[in-house]
Formats: sequence, C-alpha cells, structure tokens
Amino acid sequence: MTDEPILTVENLKTQFFTEQGVVRAVDGISFDVYPGEIVGLVGESGAGKSVATSSVMRLVDNPGEIVGGEITYKNKTLVGFERAGDELVPRDEMLTNEEMRTQVRGNEIAIIFQDPMESLNPVYTIGHQLKEFILLNRELDKKAAREEAITMLREVGIPEPEERFDDYPHEFSGGMRQRVLIAMALACQPELIIADEPTTALDVTVEGQILELVKELQEEYGTSFLWVTHDMGVVAEICDRVNVMYLGEIVEQATVDELFYETQHPYTNALLNSIPRPDQTIEELVPIKGVMPEAINPPSGCRFHTRCPDAREVCTEIEPTYSEITTYDGWPHNASCLKHEDVGYDVSEPIENEARKGTEGTEVVQ
Amino acid sequence: MGILRYTVYRLIQAVPVLFGLSVITFLLANSMPGDPVSIMLAETESDPELVAALEAQYGLDRPLHERYVNYMIGLAQGDLGYSLYYNEPVLTKVAERLPVTIMLVASSFVFAIATAIPLGVIAAKNRNQPSDHASRIVALIGVSTPSFWIGLMLIIIFAYQLGLLPSSGMVYPWHSPDDYRFIDSYLGIGSTQVGGITLPWLEGLYYETARHLILPTLALGTLHMATIMRIERSSMIESLHADYVQLARAYGVSERKIMRKHAFRVSQLPIVTIIGLNLTTALGGAVLIEEVFAINGMGRLIITAIQNLDYQLVLGTTLFFGVVFIIGVIITDISYAYIDPRVSYEEDS
Amino acid sequence: MAHADPDTQADVEQEPVDDEFEAKVGLSYTLAKVKQDTTARLGMYIVGAVIFLAAFVTIDSNISTLTFGRIDNFVFAENVLGNHPERHPPAAEAETTLPPFFADGGVLSHPLGTDIYGRDYFTRLIYGSQVSVTVGIVATGIGLIGGTIVGAVSGYYGGWIDDVFMRTVEILYSIPALVLVIVFTVFVSGGRPDIQYAVIGVGIAFIPVFARLIRSRVLSVREMDYIEAARASGVRDRNIILRHVIPNSFAPVLVLATLQIGVTILIVAGLSFLGYGAQPPTADWGQMLSSARGFMLPSPWLSIWPGLAILVTIMGFNLLGDGLQDALDPRIKD
Repeated sequence: MTDEPILTVENLKTQFFTEQGVVRAVDGISFDVYPGEIVGLVGESGAGKSVATSSVMRLVDNPGEIVGGEITYKNKTLVGFERAGDELVPRDEMLTNEEMRTQVRGNEIAIIFQDPMESLNPVYTIGHQLKEFILLNRELDKKAAREEAITMLREVGIPEPEERFDDYPHEFSGGMRQRVLIAMALACQPELIIADEPTTALDVTVEGQILELVKELQEEYGTSFLWVTHDMGVVAEICDRVNVMYLGEIVEQATVDELFYETQHPYTNALLNSIPRPDQTIEELVPIKGVMPEAINPPSGCRFHTRCPDAREVCTEIEPTYSEITTYDGWPHNASCLKHEDVGYDVSEPIENEARKGTEGTEVVQ
Repeated sequence: MGILRYTVYRLIQAVPVLFGLSVITFLLANSMPGDPVSIMLAETESDPELVAALEAQYGLDRPLHERYVNYMIGLAQGDLGYSLYYNEPVLTKVAERLPVTIMLVASSFVFAIATAIPLGVIAAKNRNQPSDHASRIVALIGVSTPSFWIGLMLIIIFAYQLGLLPSSGMVYPWHSPDDYRFIDSYLGIGSTQVGGITLPWLEGLYYETARHLILPTLALGTLHMATIMRIERSSMIESLHADYVQLARAYGVSERKIMRKHAFRVSQLPIVTIIGLNLTTALGGAVLIEEVFAINGMGRLIITAIQNLDYQLVLGTTLFFGVVFIIGVIITDISYAYIDPRVSYEEDS
Repeated sequence: MAHADPDTQADVEQEPVDDEFEAKVGLSYTLAKVKQDTTARLGMYIVGAVIFLAAFVTIDSNISTLTFGRIDNFVFAENVLGNHPERHPPAAEAETTLPPFFADGGVLSHPLGTDIYGRDYFTRLIYGSQVSVTVGIVATGIGLIGGTIVGAVSGYYGGWIDDVFMRTVEILYSIPALVLVIVFTVFVSGGRPDIQYAVIGVGIAFIPVFARLIRSRVLSVREMDYIEAARASGVRDRNIILRHVIPNSFAPVLVLATLQIGVTILIVAGLSFLGYGAQPPTADWGQMLSSARGFMLPSPWLSIWPGLAILVTIMGFNLLGDGLQDALDPRIKD
C-alpha cells in the first residue's frame, strides 16, 4: 500500500435542491483508497454515505447535484471544477457522462447494493444479467462471457452454477443473490468495488459467510473496496482504514486499529460504545442519544454538539477543522473536534443537550 | 405445475362461476316485464288458443326451473336460444354481430396501447417536466370524459363541420361490395387510389371500413388510453427507481437500453392485467359507442333485445359477454404467468 | 397462483395503510393535507362548486314549490318565472334555438343559448348538477353501505360465506356493468325506466367494489395482535368489526368513494343517454345529450355544454380522490 491512491476524493460537496431548501447531504468530504485496500465509510443512516458513493459513480439522482470538489480515479477526473467568474463550472478534463458510462462504470468501478432482493431484475435470469454486464465491460464474445459468468458463480460459492445460470432471481435466497451480485462485480474485473451496505439485509450467519468470501476474493483478485456500513463490527472484521461520517462530513479517519484503540472523536466513541459486546450486559450499552439533525439545517459550530456527551459552549460557535492529530505506521489519523484545537475548549462551560439530559431520544440501535 | 395443467386447472375452477353466471342471467332475463308472446303478437290479437300454442311451442308454460334445465340442455348442444324479435336463432345473431364488436374493441385497444405506452414512458422519463404534466392532463381528461360524448364531439367536428369522416353507415369488410352498391357515396369502392397508385391494402371495402372505424376507435379507445397511460407512467417510474435499474446504470448500461429493456419489461406486468380487466369496460363502452355511430354490433343487439323484451336474446347475449370475460381473465392470468417468471402456477391463492 | 382476481386493480391502489399514521387520520388533518396539494385543491374547488350549485337548485325548486304549490307541468311557474328549466314542452312546439351569446344571433340573456323548446340552456345545465350530484352520492352511498356489510361479514367469518360471496362477485364482474344495470332497471321499473331505478341499480352494481376493499381490510386487521387481544378478552365479534375494523378503514374507503362518485356519474350519464336513466323533462346532462342528438348539425352547442359539465364534474371528483389518496397514504408521496 505504498503506491499512488487509485481513488482520491477531495472536498466533495453534493447537494439536493428540494422545495424545502438545499439539503447539503455531502458537505466537503475527503478520503482516498489505495490499491488492494478495503476502506470503510461508517455512519448512521442519513449521514450521507450513499450519496457519497453515488457521487463517485456520478449517479446522483435529481434533484441532487455535485456542486464542488474533486474526484480523481487513477488519471481520470471524475469530478473537477474550475472557477469561471462567480461560479464553478466543470473543467474540460472532467469525463462526460458518456465517458463515465463506457470507461468507468462497471469496468473500472463496480458496485454492490444493500438489498440483494431488489438488486436483480426479476424478469431476467441471473445468467442473462451476468452475461449482459460482462459483455458490456469486457472484451469477450458471448460464449466466453457465458463461461466467465459460470466460473464467477462457482468462485462465489454458488453450487451447480451451470444449472443455476438459467434460474431467475426469485429462485435464490438473499445470501445467494448477494453472492451473485459479488460475482457480477468481480466478473467485470474492476479495480475498485463500492459495497453499499452489502450485508445489512442479510442475517448474521450469512453476513459472516459473505464477509469471509469477500476477504478471500479480495486477496485473490487484489481489488480495492470502498465499504459502506453503519456496523462497527463489520468494520473491525473487514476494513483496513475507516472514515467516520456524521451529517455530511467526515469527522474521523484512521486505520482500523487506531480508530478502535486511539479514538479521537466523541462520535466515533459513541458509535463504538453502542455495539453490543460479550463482556457487557445490555444495561451497560451506551446508545447514542437523540436523532441526527436534518442536513437541510445543520447545527452551528460542531454539527455533533447537539448529541455529544462532551459538548461545551464553544462547540456551538466554532466549527472544528478536520486535521491530522497523529500518525501511525505512516498513516495519518485525522479528526475534527475542538478538543484537539486551541480554541478554549478546556475553559468553556459544558452545555445541556440530549446526551446529557438522558432524555428518551430515539436510540440508534442499528 | 406446468402451464398446460395450470390452464386446465383454471378452466375447471371457472366451471362454478359459469354455472352461477347462467343462473343469474337466466333469472335476470326471465324477470323482465312483459309477456314475450303478446309482444310478438304485437298486442293486436288476443286469441287465447294462439297464445297458449305459442307458449307451448317456446316452452313458456313450463315452470322456471324446468325452463332453466331445458335451456342448459340446449346450451350444451350449442343452442343459445331463439330470438322472438328477429325470428332467428340467437346464435345466428351473435355470429352476425360479434365480428363487428370484436373489430371495434380490437382497433380501439390497438389505438390505446400504441399511444398509451410510449406516452406513459415519455411521461415517466421526463417526470415533473412539461411533457409529463401534459400527458397527465390528457390522462385525467381521458378518464373523466364519457366515451359517448367524445363520439358526439368527433362526429360534430370531423363529420359535420369538416366533412372528413363518416358519422355512421359502417362498412364491413367481410361483406360483398355489392351490398353497398345502392349507396351513392360508396360508388368509388374498389377503385381507391392514392396518388395514382392503387394500394391493395387500402383498396375498396378495407379502406372504407378503416375510414368508418377511425372515429369510433378514438371514442372508445380514449378511456383505455388514459387508464393504460396512468398505469404505465407510475409503473415505469417505479421501475426506473428500482435498485436493479440503478445497478444497470452503475454497470454502464446506456439510458436508452435501460428505458427499452431493464425498466420497460417489468413495468409491462401491470399493463397486462389492466388490459385483461378493461375487457368488460370495453364491451360495456361498446354498447354506447355502437349506439352513437349506429354500428350494428353486439352492444346494439343487446339494447334492441332489452327494448323489445326479447328475453332469450338478452339471456344469450349477456351470457355470451360473461363467458367472454371469464375466458379473458383466464387468458390474462396465463399470459401474466408466462411473462412474469416470479408467478408460479400454484393452486392456492 | 397468478393474479387472477379482478380485484387486483382495486387492491393495488387500496393496500391497507400503516397503523403508524392511522392516528393522524382525521378530517382536519386530511383537509390540511389536501389544501397543500395544488391538484387536490383544484378538485376540492370544483366539487365544492358543483355541490353548491346542486344545493342551490334544490332550495330554489323547493321554494318555488312551497310558494306556488305543486305545479302541474310548471305552467304556473312558467308564467311567474318565465322560462322554467323543467317546463314541460307543449306538443309540437318548435321554436328556433338560440345559439350561445358569443355566436351570431346569440343574446346575453341566454348565455349558452336555448334548446329546441326555447328553454334557457344555462339554467338547465345548472339544474343538471342537482341530478348528477344526487345520483353520484346516493348510488355511491348504497354501494358503500351494502359493501361494508357484505365485506365485513364475508371477511370476518370466512369459510363458505366468503366463498359464496367471492364467487358471486366474480359472476357480477363478468357482465358489463352498463348491461347489468339496464336489465335491472327495466326489470325493477316494469318497463318504464327512470332515474331512481338507475341509481339503485348502479348502487347495487358497486356493492362488490366496496365489499372487496372492506373484506381485504378485515382480513388484514383480523390477524393483528390487538384484535387477538380484544377477542381473547371476550369482546364480541360484532363489536370488533364496528370498533376496530371499520374506523381503521376510513382513509382508503374515503378515497375509493370519492373516485367512485365520478364513475357513478359517468355510468348514469351513459344510462340517461341510452334512455334508461333520467326521462324528459328532467334537466339531466346525459338526458340533455340524448335530446340534443338529433340536432348536432344545426345546433352543435346543445351537445357540447352538457358533456363539458359532466367532464368537469367527474374531473373534480377524480382530482379530489387522487389528492386524498396522496394525502392519506404517505408512502406514495415522493
């Protein structure tokens, strides 16, 4: 992991222009993915993780729009702006939609969605769908594509792939369909696979099998993964590095070990405390109090201050800067928390908020 | 279960419904007021012996259940009854009128499907844009307008004001052109030319039939166009937002192919059901449209039968409509099962 | 099995609603939601205007009856009021018709012209609203009440009652509604059809529509925990249906009923057009279209206005129904 990163996202901003106002779903996030690495993107529902991944694919649906930032994949500019007068316009080298479709989607970056039950077209056989994507993204003829599809189905552990090739999606279980989707992603031989909560809809034993499978295949093919999840357990299991998202921003970024043992941000801490552990009883679990505010009107100062157990007066006023706190083994450990800044956090008064009131807020139990 | 067994199973399942249908229509038709015999005799003669003789001839002096059994026996032998008004077997009348109604209903469904599906797809694609709003307004007006009034308006505009198309006097292609030789306006039949070239498919009766069919087709088809378009739009919007379409996009499938293949095929499933179900509405609507355009189809036949209290004709035609619908539903189900792989032919519902 | 039942259409649109928002359903909440939606608001205004007109006409005709007594052939009213809209035309009276005011020869005192008997067409059109609104509401009411009883009983008891009901519905569905109602009308009226028979016929024909909805609601609610609890604690079946199932079906029934009023008006207009609904001299839109048929060439406007009136009225109910559906079922909202 010493090469250049294959994916670099800098200060990405994606907004949704709704009747109620502008929703800043992704508000200036930066992260990168190196070859052969599994990078986690963690956060509660609504933190902006999925918007971030669809921004990378340039598949943000109306009324959403990428309004700023840079996304570079290898040498290609997926997103890039320049200033023209008062507004930002796309730079010339930014790929057109057609170039995105033919050069990037599928053959360079593939995706696996959360819900395997809905991700396959119900009226086509899985073989047909696999073959279609292989033909589209690789230089193979029909016969070779079919063989490749069967090989990949076998790789992901579908028994009797030749027979199952002509089966329809409804004839597969959820776990099996997710395997098909993984086969689909790998069959296109991309260098990066975006996995958008691929195990959330599965039950725990199947989840374990899928994670094992991904780890094996990742070693075999050397593909990089951007793994979106809200589950710290999955992060610990599979990721090399982690980005923690809260309300459209990345609040902490570190290698897995650093993040778990040298946690720098109270939100990460809260997330870690909210996962059940064998050495804890249910009473000892500390759920995150309150609900995430709407991205349409984020809180002033630090966005987490309304729910942060360590929040102080100063947190409501000053927006923390996202900066490097330490380095570990050559990897930076970034966080954005006023605790690590010299802005008078220590002398500021603690504030009353949901976390401290101990009110019956909606607990985050996912 | 295979598709053949499923078909047989559905047909067996339809038997009690068909039986119930025959009982209900029989009771309805027999409960009509008036005495068929005296109507037949035009109420001028009241010779009790003649009345009794006629009643005996048509079995009207038997008790109701016996008449039902007799009717069913006749039915099993392909006898739909005897029309007292036309003095012809009901089956003959049905055979004469049915092709007309089939022609009308079929052409209006062809029109409805051919316009509604592209319009629905375009509306879904350009959701909340002017073309979408326009097509939604068209659909709303389509479902809110009485079809017979559309017929009247079309006659006023295209027949009376512009003089482009005929308002009545339907020409049937299976008749001989000689049947129309006394009608002045049809003297040209058989020599239709377009720009000096005689087009065989435009020739003669077919051309005249097509001209006559345009207005009734529009009038009857508008409602179905609107209904199908609404369903197509919402169904297409749903599948355009489905995960599998997002996945296809993420794998670099072109928008064009997504519209034509990935989103399109799934969104056709509800359309099949709607077309099947609209069959009764279409047959009911045909009654009004045939009346407006003076087309001698099944609809007018049934109205004439009711007007003249010709109960056997009412019975025969209603029963016929019912059977057509029940078979239509079965065909719809089977084709649905055929195009949607998720449907398996299991016996429970 | 395949989606065989003809009720698929209704069921697709009328799935049981989430319990979560049931609590929020109430008249004021619904109205507030409807007001937010432009199309629903438009529908509400149209429906409101038509109902207002109908009410006005009813009061108007009652006042003249009270004032002048029961008037035979409206002769007295004619003398006092001038052109009474329901004036029975004298035999063989054929005045020339007046065109609408904007056409050549039209006058402003008869803004939409006059019919072949010289009656003011605008007044007749306004009077037509009374018939349409009454017909729509009464027939839908019959269908709603009948359907609720049949559907509740069938869904709650199941077994052979349900079987017989479902098969009967299938049979009735298989005959075109228009034909069914015409035969019924002729039968009930003894060969002299009139509007009230048509209304009853259409109402009965729509019983299955509501029955299916209520039945599917009952079936889904029957399995819910709180119904089990109610039954376990000895609440009687009848009370369970009355207290739990029916109030819980308020939202979908309201939507269906609104849309169904439009369908009813459409069918009754067709019946009147064929001569199996309202009879002359009643001012009814379908009947007016029927009378105007012979004069489409010289006086096309006689065919235009009543149809437009039907179109606008039905569109109002459709808009309102669609708006209510959006307002009451948050899942369909974008």
